[in-house]
Amino acid sequence: MGRDESLELLPGTLELLILKTLAGDAQHGYGIAQRLKMLSDEVLQVGESSLYPALQRLLLKGWVKAEWGASENNRRARYYTLTAVGRKQLAVERDEFDRLILAIHKVLNTA
Amino acid sequence: MRQTLRRLWFVIRHRQLDDQLAEELEFHRAMKQRDMEAGGLDTTDAAFAARRAFGSGALAHDQARDAWVPRWLQGVAQDFRLASRVLMSARLVSAVAILSLALGIGANTAIFSLVNSLLLRQLPVRDPGRLALLVEPARPGAADNFGGVPSRLRYAVWDQIVRRPQLFDGAIAWSSTAFHLGAGTDTEPIDGVWASDAFFDVLGVPPVIGRTFSAADNPILSDGGGGEPVAVISYSFWQRHFGGAADALGRSIRVDAVPFTVVGVTPPEFFGPEIGRRFDVIVPLWAEPRVHGRESWIAPTSLSSPLTVMARLKTDQTAESASAALRGVQPHIRSATVPESYPEPFRSQWLKDPLTLMSVSAASTSIRRQYGRPLLTIMAVVALVLLIACGNVANLLLARATARRHELSVRRALGASRWRLVRQLLAESALLAAVASTLGLLVASWASRVLVRQLSTDASPIFLDLSMNARVVVFTVGVAVTTVLLFGVLPAFRASGIAPSDALKTHTATTDTRAGVANGLVVAQVALSVVLVATSVLLVRTFVSLTNRQLGFDPNRLLVVNLSAQPTAIDPNQRVTIYERVRDAVAHLPGVAAASLGSNTPIVTGPMLGQPIKAVSGGTPLPPRGGLSALNLVSDGWFGTLTIPIISGRDFSERDRERMPPVAIVNQAFARRFLNGANPVGHTANLFLPGPPPPPVEIVGLVADSVYGTLRSPEPATIYLPLAQLSEVASPFLASVNLTVRASRGSPALLITSVAAAIGGVSSGLTLTFHTLNDQLDASLAQERVLAMLSGFFGGVALLLAALGLYGVTAYAVARRRMEIGIRMALGATAGIIVRTVLVRVAVLVGTGVAIGALVSLWTSRFVAALLYGLQPRDPATLVGAAAVLAAVAAIAAWLPAWRAARVDPAIALRYE
Repeated sequence: MGRDESLELLPGTLELLILKTLAGDAQHGYGIAQRLKMLSDEVLQVGESSLYPALQRLLLKGWVKAEWGASENNRRARYYTLTAVGRKQLAVERDEFDRLILAIHKVLNTA
Repeated sequence: MRQTLRRLWFVIRHRQLDDQLAEELEFHRAMKQRDMEAGGLDTTDAAFAARRAFGSGALAHDQARDAWVPRWLQGVAQDFRLASRVLMSARLVSAVAILSLALGIGANTAIFSLVNSLLLRQLPVRDPGRLALLVEPARPGAADNFGGVPSRLRYAVWDQIVRRPQLFDGAIAWSSTAFHLGAGTDTEPIDGVWASDAFFDVLGVPPVIGRTFSAADNPILSDGGGGEPVAVISYSFWQRHFGGAADALGRSIRVDAVPFTVVGVTPPEFFGPEIGRRFDVIVPLWAEPRVHGRESWIAPTSLSSPLTVMARLKTDQTAESASAALRGVQPHIRSATVPESYPEPFRSQWLKDPLTLMSVSAASTSIRRQYGRPLLTIMAVVALVLLIACGNVANLLLARATARRHELSVRRALGASRWRLVRQLLAESALLAAVASTLGLLVASWASRVLVRQLSTDASPIFLDLSMNARVVVFTVGVAVTTVLLFGVLPAFRASGIAPSDALKTHTATTDTRAGVANGLVVAQVALSVVLVATSVLLVRTFVSLTNRQLGFDPNRLLVVNLSAQPTAIDPNQRVTIYERVRDAVAHLPGVAAASLGSNTPIVTGPMLGQPIKAVSGGTPLPPRGGLSALNLVSDGWFGTLTIPIISGRDFSERDRERMPPVAIVNQAFARRFLNGANPVGHTANLFLPGPPPPPVEIVGLVADSVYGTLRSPEPATIYLPLAQLSEVASPFLASVNLTVRASRGSPALLITSVAAAIGGVSSGLTLTFHTLNDQLDASLAQERVLAMLSGFFGGVALLLAALGLYGVTAYAVARRRMEIGIRMALGATAGIIVRTVLVRVAVLVGTGVAIGALVSLWTSRFVAALLYGLQPRDPATLVGAAAVLAAVAAIAAWLPAWRAARVDPAIALRYE
């Protein structure tokens, strides 16, 4: 659970955010959720029931790949990395998102 | 695309990936817990807090999995897994259901693949829809309406058509013949086709190796030819005879002792120009004189009509417009080809007869005429059997659904929608049908081959391509889907309509309208069974009547030897002499009681000789075209050999030869027809014969009627003429003759070797074929026998299925009323009274079913009227018999459960809650 209602309004946004998060380095699911929370100043809190389905969809589309590795406390965790396709897609999605936000702004700013 | 592959990957390794996901989620929760501990909570509280914050792990897991495989698909997979477990848990019931369905579906598919090959498929040539056959016009009001039957033309007429290429987009002529491969005594019978020059071009059949022949090979048309005539062989002949070797091209084969050079092989799917026949060799028509010599069809005086003509219509032509075009030039064609020797009134008839074209799929080819109705009858029979089987399976499923009430209501209570339950139950039905169809397909491929072998006889062989093809598979799938709909949907909807609260009740006193549906099904099954049993009784009685038919002669111990002088160098004028010498040699063999010659055997299934009679002295006056009589050219001793009694006058003798007064013998039917039954001995008859009007023949003998041709027709009026007297005139028909030999004791087949040796001693150039008369009789009844066997078998199956259905329904009814029965017996009712009560109720069902079935069978019987012999389709004895059989079977099927229930100790029955 968590306040991710705003994310539901723009489908695909969660996937964009995950892609951005992974652009830097590999991360496991919990780590992605933590980083999102941190980078957004506690606004975006992603629950497992949204996060993991999104990760599976990204796996299905081939934008990320997953590998098992050792986490900080030596437990086995599944680490996700961007693929080359994913990296390209990140740029594409980013542009799409920007255009969308711009359009929404324009509509809201007209009286 | 990649996504689909990844999904497939998921499905294959789903268990492993599932575990991975679970581990991942567990890791997430553990990390959360660790954070909480770091924030100051102790371990237990942190664990609980983490769990609460984590939320439903199962939900997360489910939703993650949904990303890979859509929810509905997972559901379907679950349904089928559960369905297979359910079916396996009730093995006996499932096996019975699958077997009865497999039998029904298999039978339907087998018959359909026959119908498809024989009636629906088109010729394996280019654009078969544009082909039209030259057929007989419909002659309404004529005794024999041959409308739609392919015409047989003389070569002269075909020649006229060839000279007018503007009529069609190509035309071909052919004649199917039996050849002998090889020469002299070492021959092998093969099937051949004489074909016109443009045969392969017009049909559009490319060679698989080598080339096909065309007008360029015709030495008459193009000066290049003149060497050996060429031949094209079929793929199967190539495999059989040459082992599929490439060097078969250029080899020489002897067809009827004439050498032909093989130039090409046709593709394996091309079986010839006629459906149901196949060929080994196709030879060009222009080479025919080399084989037939003086009796060549191409000779201007020839009267043989062997050719079938087919035309390819132009792109904008229809069969009707092509017929009109042909009739436009008909007067020229007819007048150019009218034979000199045709007497009036046949001459003017010939000039007026309209040439008609009909598209190949509509034409009434001999295969279609012969097998169309029987096949469709059997198709209806197996469809009914399938319906009955579906009724049984539906009842079974209804019964099982009642037993699973508890399980289904629990599922409802847990939240399944009604549709989900219906889906589950339909999955079980679908699985039943799928397994049954696969079994059925196997059964069908075996059964259809056996059926064709049973129907095919030496005289009229059938060759069908029965390999699995798309249409048959689609048909099977369609039948399977229909059966699922028939037997699965109703029980599924009824079973799913229970309330969730039923799970809480231990004993539901349901009013249970299931009984109503089950009873309705049983009534329908009984009705259908009556129809089937009645039909099968009709067909079996037809077959029995035909086998017991009085033939007018004794068929036992008779051997028929066909002597063919065709492919030899025997002078046609010498033929009769040689035949007579053969006959003398055989008649003197030990073990031979008698031997004689005849142009036709008594059981002839090919073209017969018909003789128009102009007038009979002292007889009823005849119309200008005369009356028709059957004709047989026989030697002396014929009637003795066949044990046909001579009623008045005498048999032919040695004195009845050429240049002696012409004589004839007639049978009683002839006397009835032409002389009103008066004794014909001493009267004379004038016959229509080609050439100048012959002198009248004197009738010197009267013989008893005997079967001639098919067993179904009554004995025809027959006139017998002495072979020796007519050899000149009848010589085109005397290329082969039949020697009938009666063995003095034992099986006539034992005489074959000695007879063959004796004949070989007289003349080594004759080709011999042996049959016993009983074999010929059996072959002529092949179709009726197959019909009787099949309908009897399926009638029996239908009875068994209906009995099973009745048993099930009665057992259920008795089980429901167990308490009532127990009370009654405790109060003093005997077992007999209980049984009677149950049987009375069953009798109502069966009675309704029988009544409905009898009515329906009165209506359906007219469809099989054409197949019957000696029976009216609405024969009351048959109907009563069928009803009686059903009633007896039903009584046994219902008595068993009733009796068992009545034997149970009332105390036990009452105790059972």
